[in-house]
Amino acid sequence: MASAEELAAIKKAKILMVGAGGIGCELLKTLVLTGFRDIHLIDMDTIEVSNLNRQFLFRKHHVGQSKAKVAREAVLKFRPDVNIVAYHANVKSTEFNVEFFQNFHVVLNGLDNLDARRHVNRLCLAAGVPLVESGTTGYLGQVTVHIKGKTECYECQPKPAPKTYPICTITSTPSKPVHCVVWAKELAFTRLFGDKNQANDLDSQTKEASSASEQQVLPLELQEGESVASFAFRVFDYVFGHNIEAALKNEDAWKSRRKPVPLYLNKILPNIAEEFKGSCENGARPENSCSAMSVLGLKNPQEVWSIEDNARVFLKSIEILYATKSKAIGTLVFDKDDQLAVEFVSAAANIRSYSFGIPMLSLFDLKGIAGNIVHAIATTNAIIAGLIVLEAIKILTSDFNHSRMTYCLEHPSKKLLLMPVEPFEPNSSCYVCSQTPLSLEVNTSKSKLRDVVEKIVKAKLSVHSPVIMQGSNILYETGEDLEKDMVLLYTSNLDKFLVDLPTPITNGTVLSVEDFQQEFSCNLHIKHRDEFDEEKEPDGMILTGKWLTSQTPEQQLNVPGGPTEGNNVVEAVAGETKTINDELQEVDGDFAEILEVNTVADKKRKIQDEEQAQKRMRVSLDER
Amino acid sequence: MAQRNNKYDRQLRIWGDHGQAALEHASVCLLNCGPTGSEALKNLVLGGIGSFTIVDPSRVEAADLGNNFLVSWENLGQSKARSVCALLQELNESVGAKFVEESPEALLDSNPSFFASFTLVIATQMPEKALIKLDETCRQQRVMLLVARSYGLAGLVRICIQEHDVIESKPDNPVDDLRLHKPWPELKRFVDQFDIDAKDQLEHQHIPFAIILVKVAEEWKAAHGGRLPSGSKERAEFKAAVRARKQSDDEDNYKEALASAYKVWAPPTISSELHSVLDDSAVEIHSTSTDFWILVAALKMFMANDADGDLPLDGAIPDMHSYTDYYIRLQKVYQDRAEANVSAVEANVKSILRKIARDSLSISRSTIKQFCKNARNLRVLRYRTLADEFSPLAAFKIQRLLAVEESRELEQDVLRLKAICINLLNDIGVNGASISEDLISEFCRFGAAEIHCVASVIGGIASQEAIKILTRQFTPLSGTFIYNAIESTSSVLQL
Repeated sequence: MASAEELAAIKKAKILMVGAGGIGCELLKTLVLTGFRDIHLIDMDTIEVSNLNRQFLFRKHHVGQSKAKVAREAVLKFRPDVNIVAYHANVKSTEFNVEFFQNFHVVLNGLDNLDARRHVNRLCLAAGVPLVESGTTGYLGQVTVHIKGKTECYECQPKPAPKTYPICTITSTPSKPVHCVVWAKELAFTRLFGDKNQANDLDSQTKEASSASEQQVLPLELQEGESVASFAFRVFDYVFGHNIEAALKNEDAWKSRRKPVPLYLNKILPNIAEEFKGSCENGARPENSCSAMSVLGLKNPQEVWSIEDNARVFLKSIEILYATKSKAIGTLVFDKDDQLAVEFVSAAANIRSYSFGIPMLSLFDLKGIAGNIVHAIATTNAIIAGLIVLEAIKILTSDFNHSRMTYCLEHPSKKLLLMPVEPFEPNSSCYVCSQTPLSLEVNTSKSKLRDVVEKIVKAKLSVHSPVIMQGSNILYETGEDLEKDMVLLYTSNLDKFLVDLPTPITNGTVLSVEDFQQEFSCNLHIKHRDEFDEEKEPDGMILTGKWLTSQTPEQQLNVPGGPTEGNNVVEAVAGETKTINDELQEVDGDFAEILEVNTVADKKRKIQDEEQAQKRMRVSLDER
Repeated sequence: MAQRNNKYDRQLRIWGDHGQAALEHASVCLLNCGPTGSEALKNLVLGGIGSFTIVDPSRVEAADLGNNFLVSWENLGQSKARSVCALLQELNESVGAKFVEESPEALLDSNPSFFASFTLVIATQMPEKALIKLDETCRQQRVMLLVARSYGLAGLVRICIQEHDVIESKPDNPVDDLRLHKPWPELKRFVDQFDIDAKDQLEHQHIPFAIILVKVAEEWKAAHGGRLPSGSKERAEFKAAVRARKQSDDEDNYKEALASAYKVWAPPTISSELHSVLDDSAVEIHSTSTDFWILVAALKMFMANDADGDLPLDGAIPDMHSYTDYYIRLQKVYQDRAEANVSAVEANVKSILRKIARDSLSISRSTIKQFCKNARNLRVLRYRTLADEFSPLAAFKIQRLLAVEESRELEQDVLRLKAICINLLNDIGVNGASISEDLISEFCRFGAAEIHCVASVIGGIASQEAIKILTRQFTPLSGTFIYNAIESTSSVLQL
């Protein structure tokens, strides 16, 4: 039904799709059926069972395969005459540079995380290619249009910072289930199965003890000849018994707090050794070896299990993880689609909660918290994909006056289910598309260049391969084509305090941060400050700017440079999971990290903003 | 079970196990499987409905390949219903799949009882005349009907149900019902165990804000003849009284108390929607009353006799800065009260059931509990019949003209459609001359085409509303939803 002009534009358009998940599957299908013939598709993910309730191009037998490739094949089977190029790759990898982006008439995002969205935004700005951006959570969804110079870019409005927790709350004084989940995921899981160097808090409390008797058995290491079951028993007693007892010795800490109860296996499950005997001899490989709960006969993941059952799941999940993934131990990263990892983390979180007098939750709820899981259904994705294509057509026919950002609401409000909004003009104080400088408050004699690079440049500005300069002096740079001595120099700079650098950074210094791949650059004005509140500003640095609203940079209990997903946590209170922080951002591993309409509260903020900013926009209501 | 839970994990988080069970019990009939219908059904099959039946007489033609993803070139010349059915079955093998190669209109004439076995009928791309008859048939047989239509760059979705009751309407902004203004004896006793002027600094900053506010409010009432603060002056005084108890400026519990102080004088009220449910004539119970209305009647009795006009307490409390065990104990006080309220409503339900000679245990406590928890947000939607909506005769003419494909010259069509529109509008008392000619040409140009991206939007919305009515969660559209892809606008009209 498109006009001749539209049809011509559709036929010759070259489209880049980033993401082949929930929105991506719908989008690829809708593009092809609308007449698009040349589509490039990037996605680094592989297919999971939990995708199958909406990502309809995938079948059960595709689990584990590349989303981009399977999506391409599925569509080609039906429409062999279109050209689809699939890349099973990270959009941040260097092959997708500005020149690559310049090949396309429009870029369509169906992504699941803020970091990648920012990256694509910068490449689109640099390449001058229009971007249609999208996201969904449950019944909520949105499509926004970003055209350089005409509309705001994706980063013109600050995105809510993920909720994070002070480290001591996690390691010593949890008071909510979520604190225990973060502990289980970031400390216990990582210490036992992942990179030990990134999570040694579990050992730290006993340094004195272990140095006193050197040849002692290392508490969290499997000994030669030791069965995994007895190792698991030891881990339990050490982490939930010994460590708690060690913490209780610091009596000051518990003066006004309820003391945690040390838990030992012989109290909770006195007969556990006999109980587990049989299964150990079988090498813990029953048919259902992918799940501790099914081996144990626990059926309902939505039920809150007893402390005994949680202890059993804890032990059994360690056993099966060792039996089935022994090679990967030491490199595992928590994955919400890995049943065993979820079981281990849930059980560990519950046992810790029990010890601290915090209510235990069901595996289902804990999985939602640990994985920052966002609701996701087929219906919203189908609607959003249709809207993306309609916006893409307007861009291709230069019909910019009709471009709209559209919000799909959960409840029809003011008689609207779809709320169209005219795109905003670029924000003149945006640090990305208007290159407005930012300020960084930092103690220049106590912070190292590494802190600035990891905590600010990478984590807050999403710059992946930064070049940091003061005037024409390069302080830091990475890349394959660097000379050896330069690499050495830059690496040694990382561990210097700011004032000790070859060209010292002091109050008033202006640093420039660039990323050649993103063609991004911005200036950081340094302001020296002596003191920071350890609890509230544990980075020891505060990034500000006209662009940013008041941010509360709390400590992130996270691996530097690690996936952003890990930072976001949904609060849970006494059995009911709910989002507490209004500005909370959630991430769906599949496709949706939510943007402005991420949470209900957020959506309302957006609507309020709109009411306040009548001058900047008109809500195009149906005149009737 | 584990597989099912994994597959549906992301949606179970929206509608829960009981919502999923409702979907799995649903049997859906799709009339016409063009792109709009196929897309709508695809989304429901992915979500895991129990079974579906497709009714469509047509064969797959080359044009279908251009806009319907659920047929492929291999199906050319074969039954469209069969082809779509087979592909949908592939998407989710736990869904039962059937098809009937017949025209929906013919089936409606020859065998209207065909529809009785379904939970929901989704009618797509059907002319109004047949829809009106279908609406009547479905209402008689107590089958839910959802109408969806894509038309060029426009589309509509309409629900046709005699009455749709929603207990779990899941509002955007659930309110906290804390009864700070009216603490019941157990809450008062609990609050009295705390000394909000505690000398111990840590103790002082870990008393939950609800306790602080109840205390200050009780003191206020004692000093003001039992009255709560009213007017801005007294409210400011009340806040000052809270502020005066602070021992330092960074006590988070006091910050929360000040932010929530308004809850003392502005407790949640009963919404107009709930009032209209409580005042509905259906609340007069007789032997054929549904469980929903029996529950509403019991609720009304509870409010009048047991609770001084208040709703049952839902028992939920928001997060508060507090020691964990204070919070848990406070939570228990609220939960116990909620349970007691449920018991009172349950007693009313039993007495009503006995009165109408039904088994007094036929409505379970868990149902009553869920009802009480959601009592504040009950919704009843009644949809007028399509016959009522389409009574002016000219409407048929428009439809007939719109449904004719490419048989006439476009210009002629524009003139005819304009004449019909003006007549129709004049008939129902609207100035017909105000209709835009551009709009009419646009509609003629569409020529009843189903564009895939519009079908994707309309099919998506249709399936979304289907899920809301099947799970009885969230409030569905209350009127005719119209989407205009030219202007990116949409609206819901209650005609």
